[in-house]
Amino acid sequence: MVSFTRRLIPALVVIAAITSAALFAQPTPLPNRPDSLKFAAIGDNGTGDQPQYDVAKQMAAFHDRFSFDMVIMLGDNMYGGQSPADFVTKFERPYATLLRAGVKFQASLGNHDRPENVSYGPYNMNGRRYYSYVRNNARFLALDSTQMDPAQLEWIENSLGSAREDWKICYFHHPLYSNANRHGSAVDLRILLEPIFIRHGVDVVFSGHDHVYERLKPQQGIHYFVSGSAGQLRKGNMSPTDQTAAYFDQDQSFMLVEIAGADMFFQAISRTGKTVDSGVIRRQTTRSQQ
Amino acid sequence: MTDDTRPHRRLRGRALRTAVPRLSRFALEHLLLLPIGAAIALVWVNGAPESYYRFTYAIAFAVNDVAMVFFFALMAKEVVESTAPGGVLHPWRRALLPVVASVGATVVPALIYIWIVGVLDEPMLAVGWPVSLATDLAVSYFVARQVFRPHPAIPFLLLLAIASDALGFVALALFNPTRDLHLAGGALLLAIAMSIAGGLRQAGVKSFWPYLIGAGGLSWCALYWSGLHPALALVPILPFLPHAGRDPGFFVDAPPGARDTLSRFEIWWRYPAQVALFFFGLVNAGVPMGALENGTWGLPIAVLVGKPLGILLAAGVAVAAGLHLPHKVGWRELTVVGFSSTIGFSVGLFFCTALPPGQLRSELSMGVLLTLAGAPLAVLCGRLLRVGRFSP
Repeated sequence: MVSFTRRLIPALVVIAAITSAALFAQPTPLPNRPDSLKFAAIGDNGTGDQPQYDVAKQMAAFHDRFSFDMVIMLGDNMYGGQSPADFVTKFERPYATLLRAGVKFQASLGNHDRPENVSYGPYNMNGRRYYSYVRNNARFLALDSTQMDPAQLEWIENSLGSAREDWKICYFHHPLYSNANRHGSAVDLRILLEPIFIRHGVDVVFSGHDHVYERLKPQQGIHYFVSGSAGQLRKGNMSPTDQTAAYFDQDQSFMLVEIAGADMFFQAISRTGKTVDSGVIRRQTTRSQQ
Repeated sequence: MTDDTRPHRRLRGRALRTAVPRLSRFALEHLLLLPIGAAIALVWVNGAPESYYRFTYAIAFAVNDVAMVFFFALMAKEVVESTAPGGVLHPWRRALLPVVASVGATVVPALIYIWIVGVLDEPMLAVGWPVSLATDLAVSYFVARQVFRPHPAIPFLLLLAIASDALGFVALALFNPTRDLHLAGGALLLAIAMSIAGGLRQAGVKSFWPYLIGAGGLSWCALYWSGLHPALALVPILPFLPHAGRDPGFFVDAPPGARDTLSRFEIWWRYPAQVALFFFGLVNAGVPMGALENGTWGLPIAVLVGKPLGILLAAGVAVAAGLHLPHKVGWRELTVVGFSSTIGFSVGLFFCTALPPGQLRSELSMGVLLTLAGAPLAVLCGRLLRVGRFSP
C-alpha cells in the first residue's frame, strides 16, 4: 500500500502539472492552420536591455506552438552603438532561439539604424533600403520611410502595380496614422504614400516609431498597425481617438500574424505573454474586424 | 491717384526712407518676409498638418525650383558687383585668406556634425552634412554689422560666407543630387546658355529680359536635366549682364535711376524675390514638433562649435603659411565672425530641400532655424571680447 502511494504521488503531480499547463497557458487565438503564412512583427526592438530579451523569450515560447518562419522588423532595430559586438547583444543573442530554428528576419530601417545596416546578412535586406518579396499569397514591401525620395515612390508605384498576389502588405518605420503623444502620425509621408496604397489596393500596413501598440480602424480601407514596443516602451503614451480600434501602452509587445486564404488573423502579445489584442481582417471588399 | 498727388507721395516715401536708418531699412526689406513665412509654416503644420502638406507639396516645385531662381540671382548679383573696383572681391587676392578660412569653416563643422549625430543616436541624419556648410549672407551680414559697424571684418565675413556656400553647393551636387545625374549633357547645355548670354552682351543688349528668358531659361533646363538644383540657373548667367564700373557696396540697393542692366534687373526683381522668400519659408520651414528627436541638436551644436573653431584653426594655419589677416582683424574679431557665420537660415533651408520629405528633413530644418542662436551669441561674444562697437 505504501509503495503504491509512493508511486501514485509523482504520477498525480505530473497529471496536475499537465492539467494546469493546459488550463492556464494562453491559447493562441490564431487558427494555426498547416498551410497558412505565419509571421511575427517587431518594431523599435534593438535596445539590448532586459525587456527586449523578455519579448524575444516570449516570441521563442510562442514559436514552439505557432511555428512562424518569418519576422518583419519595423525599424530602429538597433539603438546606440552598432558595432559587431552590438549586433550580438542587440540581435543575435536575444533572437538566438528563433535564428537557430531557421526563422528569417526581414528588416526595414528606422531613424536610429545606421544606413550601412542594410548589408547586415541576417536582416536579409541584401544591401537595399527598400525591397519586395512574396510569401505564399502575399506580397510584402519593406520601405525606407526615413528617406522617402522620388525614386522610392516610383518603385513603390511600380511594385504594387505589378503585384498579382492576393495580399499586399507594406511595412516601414514611421506610422502614417498614430495616436501616441510622442510622435503621432507622419502626415508628410501619408500625403505621399496613402494615395499609392489606395490606388493599388494595399491591405495592411505595419509601422513602429511610437513605442506603443495601436490598431487603427481601417483608414480609406487600409488596416494600420503601430507595433513599436518590442524593446522600447513609452508607458501611458497613448491618447486614443475615434481612429483607434485597440491599443496597449503598459508594457512591451510584439505581434503574431497568420494569413489563411482571404483572412488575416492577428494577435498582439505583451512581454509577459498576455494577449492584449487579437482579431481577423478579411481581405479587400469584405474587410471586417473583431 | 491724380498726377499732382504722385510727387507728394514720392516725397513722403523718400522722407520715410531717409528717416529709417539704412541698416534697419535693410532688415525691413531683406530679412522680414522669410521669418514671417517660417513662423506661419510652424504654426500651420502643427495645427492643421494635412492642409499644410497638401498646399506646400502643390507649390513646392514652383517655389523651390523656379521662384528661388531670383533670390539666388540677386545673391549672385551682389557677388558679381563685388568683383568690380571698390568691391570686397576686388582684387581677387584679397579673397585668399577668407577662402582658406572657409575650408576650416566647412570641414570642421561637417566632421563634428557627422560625429555628433551618431552620438545623439540618429546616424541616419549624417546624410545631411552639407547643410552644416550653409551661411545666410544677408542675416550674417546684418548681425556682423550690429557688432562691428563698418570694419574690415565685414568683407572678410562676406567672402567667407560666399566661399562656404559655394563649397556647400558643390557638396550638395556631388552627394545629394535631387535627380539622376547627367552631368555631361547638362554641362553642354549650360555652355550653350552661357554662350548665348555672352553673345547678347557682345551684341550690346541692354535689357535683362533676353538674358533672363533666353540664356536663363536654357540654363534652368540644363541644371534641371543634369540633376543639379535649377534654382541656381541664373548664377552662371548674371556675370554676363552689363554692370556698373564700381561696386556701390554689399547689399546696397541700386538707386531707382540706375541704368546698367544688372541694376535694372535688381530693381525689377528685388521685391518679387522677397515674396519668393516668404513662400520659401512657408514651404520649407514647416516642422512638426512630433518629428523632432535628439538629432535635431546635431546641426546647431556642430556649427556653433565648429565654425568659430574651424575659422580660427584655418586662419592660424594660413597665417603660419605666410598669409596676412586684414588690418584690425585678430583672433577676437575672427571669433565673432565665426559666430556670425553660423546662421544658415535661407541657404540652410534651401540645402535641406535636397533631402526628401520626412523626419530627416524636418529635424534638419529645425536645426537650421536653431542656428539663428548664432546671432545673439555673436553679439554676446562681441561684447565679452570687446570688439567693434563694444571696444573701449
